[in-house]
Amino acid sequence: MTAPTAPARPGPAVRRGPAGLSLAVLVCLALLALALFASVMSGSKQTPAADIWRVITGGGDAYLRTVVESRYPRTVLGVLTGVCLAVAGTLMQGVTRNPLAEPGILGINAGASASVVAATAFLGVSGQRDTVWWALAGALVAGVAVYAIGTAGGGSSPVRLVLAGAVLSAVLAAFIQAVALSRPRVFDTYRYWVVGALGGRGFDAVWSVLPFAVVGLLLALVLAPGLNALAMGDDKAASLGVSPLRIKGAGLLAATLLSAAATAAVGPIAFVGLAVPHLVRTLVGADFRLQIVFSVLVGPSLLLFADVVGRVLLRPEELMVGVVTAFVGAPALLLAVRRMRGAA
Amino acid sequence: MNTAPPAGPAEMARSRPPVPRRSMVRIGRWVAVPVRRSSLFAAAVVLVLLGCAAVATLTLGRLGIGLGDLPSALMGEATGKNAFVLNRLRGPRLVVAIATGAAFGLSGALFQSVTRNPLGSPDVIGLSAGAGAGAAAVALFLPGTLPVSVGALLGAVTAMGVVYVSTGTGFRSPGRLVVAGIGVSAMATALTQYVVYAVERDKASALTAYINGSLAARSWDDAATIWTVLLLCVPLAALLARPLGIREMGDDLSTGLGSRPARITTGAVLLSIVLSAGAVSVAGPIAFVSLTAPQIAKRVTRGGGPQLMMSTLLGALLLVVADLAAQQLPLFDNLPVGLYTMAVGGVYLGYLLVREWRRPVV
Repeated sequence: MTAPTAPARPGPAVRRGPAGLSLAVLVCLALLALALFASVMSGSKQTPAADIWRVITGGGDAYLRTVVESRYPRTVLGVLTGVCLAVAGTLMQGVTRNPLAEPGILGINAGASASVVAATAFLGVSGQRDTVWWALAGALVAGVAVYAIGTAGGGSSPVRLVLAGAVLSAVLAAFIQAVALSRPRVFDTYRYWVVGALGGRGFDAVWSVLPFAVVGLLLALVLAPGLNALAMGDDKAASLGVSPLRIKGAGLLAATLLSAAATAAVGPIAFVGLAVPHLVRTLVGADFRLQIVFSVLVGPSLLLFADVVGRVLLRPEELMVGVVTAFVGAPALLLAVRRMRGAA
Repeated sequence: MNTAPPAGPAEMARSRPPVPRRSMVRIGRWVAVPVRRSSLFAAAVVLVLLGCAAVATLTLGRLGIGLGDLPSALMGEATGKNAFVLNRLRGPRLVVAIATGAAFGLSGALFQSVTRNPLGSPDVIGLSAGAGAGAAAVALFLPGTLPVSVGALLGAVTAMGVVYVSTGTGFRSPGRLVVAGIGVSAMATALTQYVVYAVERDKASALTAYINGSLAARSWDDAATIWTVLLLCVPLAALLARPLGIREMGDDLSTGLGSRPARITTGAVLLSIVLSAGAVSVAGPIAFVSLTAPQIAKRVTRGGGPQLMMSTLLGALLLVVADLAAQQLPLFDNLPVGLYTMAVGGVYLGYLLVREWRRPVV
C-alpha cells in the first residue's frame, strides 16, 4: 500500500515536429467535426445526413429545421462538458503526478453532487444559476478533503489518492441516497440527474456554467508551463523559479472549477477525465501545453461519440451518456491497472 | 491470558514470550479443534451483546413487544399485535439480519486472509456491486424467469472474474486489486443506475432500497435461504481455517508444511463469493460489513490468522446493531440499513487508511 511516491508515467517519448503536430491537430479537428455532425444527426427521429447538411447551410423546410435545431443545445452541452472534464483530468493528473487522478475517481464529482442534493432538499435551491455555486463549494471541499486524506503522513502514491477518493465517495453516496430516499420529490429529479445525461436540457444550462468553464480553462492554459516544471519534481520546479505550492493550488482550483461546472450542467460523469489525458499523452507526449490544447479537442469528441452511441443503441429509448462513459472508461482504468508498475 | 504465577522482571526476560494457552475441544475420536481461551471469552461477550441487540430489536419502539411479554411470546404464546410483530414484522427481519451479517463477516475474513490486506474485501473490490448489478439486471431484463438470487450470484462471479483477469496478477497485489475493483464497481453501478432510471418510480424506489442493502420486509423464505447458505459454508470454512492461517505466513512455508496454497486460495475465494452472493441476494449489497468485521475481530482477539469465528459473530452483531439504528433512529424514516453501514464503515475505512499511512514507510 505504501509504495514510494510513483511519478506519473511519462508519456512515451513522443516529440512531433511541426508537420506531425499539424497533422495531429487536423485529425483531431476532423474527428470533432464528425462527432458534432453525428450528434446533430442522431436522435429519436432518423434524419438522413443530406438533410442535416441542408439545415446547417441554411436550407431545409421549417419542420426539419425545428427537429435539427432542437438538438443543438445537447450538442453544445456535450462539447462544453467534454472540454471541462478532459482538461480537469489533465490538470489533476499533472498536479498530483498520478495517472489515476480524475474528478470522478477522486470524489470531486461526488462532493459536487452531495452539495447540490443537500441544497435542493434542505434549502429549496433550484435552477441552474444557483446550483452551480453549490456544486462548486461541494467540489472544493471534497477536493481538499481527498488531498488531505491521501497525503496524510507525507508522500502519496497513486493508489492512496484513489482510495481516499473512493472512501469519500462512499460516505457522500450514503448521504445523497439518504436524502434522496427520504424525499420522493428530490429522488425523482435526482435519479435522472445522477446518471449524467445530456438530453432534456436547454441552452440556459450552458450559459449558467459557461463563465466557470472559461475561467478554469484560461487558468489551465496559464498554468501549463508551470505544470511542465512540476513534472520534474518539486525541487527542480522550485529551482526553475516556479513555486510548486502555488502551481498545485491553482491547478487544483482550476480543476475544481471545471469539474464543478460539468457536474452542475449534466450530473456526475466519470472516466472522461481519466481516459482523455491518457489518449492525449500517447498522441503528443508529456508537454502540458500540448496536452491541454489536445484535451480541448479530444474531450468533446469522446463525450459526443459516447452520447451518440447511447442514443443509437436503444433507439428510440436512450442510454444516458454517463452509463456509456462508465463502460468505455472503466476498461481504460483496468488497462491502466495492468500497466501499473511496482508493488502499489 | 497467561495464567502462570507472576514472575520477577529478570525471570520474565529469560522466559519465553507468553504463548496463548490453547485447549482442545474434542468431538468424538476424529475431530479436535484447538481453541484459545481468550477467543472463547471474546466470543462469549459478542454473543451476549448480540443477544442484547436482538432483544432491543424486538422490544423497542411503538410496535415493540413489551419486555415482560417477550419470554412467553418467544415460547409461542404471542397473540394479536405481538404475534404479528414477532412472526411477520421484526422476527424474520432479525433472523435474516443475524445470518446475513454473519455471512458478510465470514466472507470478508476469508477474502482478506487470501489477499492479506484489509482492502481486499468483497465490498471494496466490487463483489457486492457486481452482485447488485446482477440482481438488478435480472429484475429488469428477465423478470420471472430467473430468481434474483441467481442473478446476484452470476453478477458476483462475473465481477470477480473481471477483477481477477484485469489485475494481471490475480488476487496477489492489493493496490491493483483495489483500483480494478473501483473500475468494476463503476461499471456495475452504472448498470444498476440505468436500471433504476429505466423502471417506473415505485419500482425504482424499491430497487434503490435493495441496491443500497435493506432488511425491511424480509420473509421467512429469505431467512431460510441465507441460513441454508450459512450453515453449508461454515463447516467448510472451519476446515479452511488452519491452512489459511498457515498460508498467511507465505506460500513457501505453507507448501513446506504440507498444504497446497493454490487450492486453499481457490477454495476460500469460492466460499467467500458464495457467502457474499447469498447475503446480497436476500438483503442487497450492504456495504462495508465484510470490510470492518474481520478488522475489528483482529483487534479484539489480538491473534494472528484469519479469525473466522470471531468475524462471523462480529458481522452478525454489526448488522443487527445497524439495523436497530435504521429502525429506531428518528433522523430519517426507514432508510435502508446499507446506508448506515456505508456511512459508518466509510469513515472507519478512512481512519484505517490514514492510520496505516501515518506509520513510517513499511
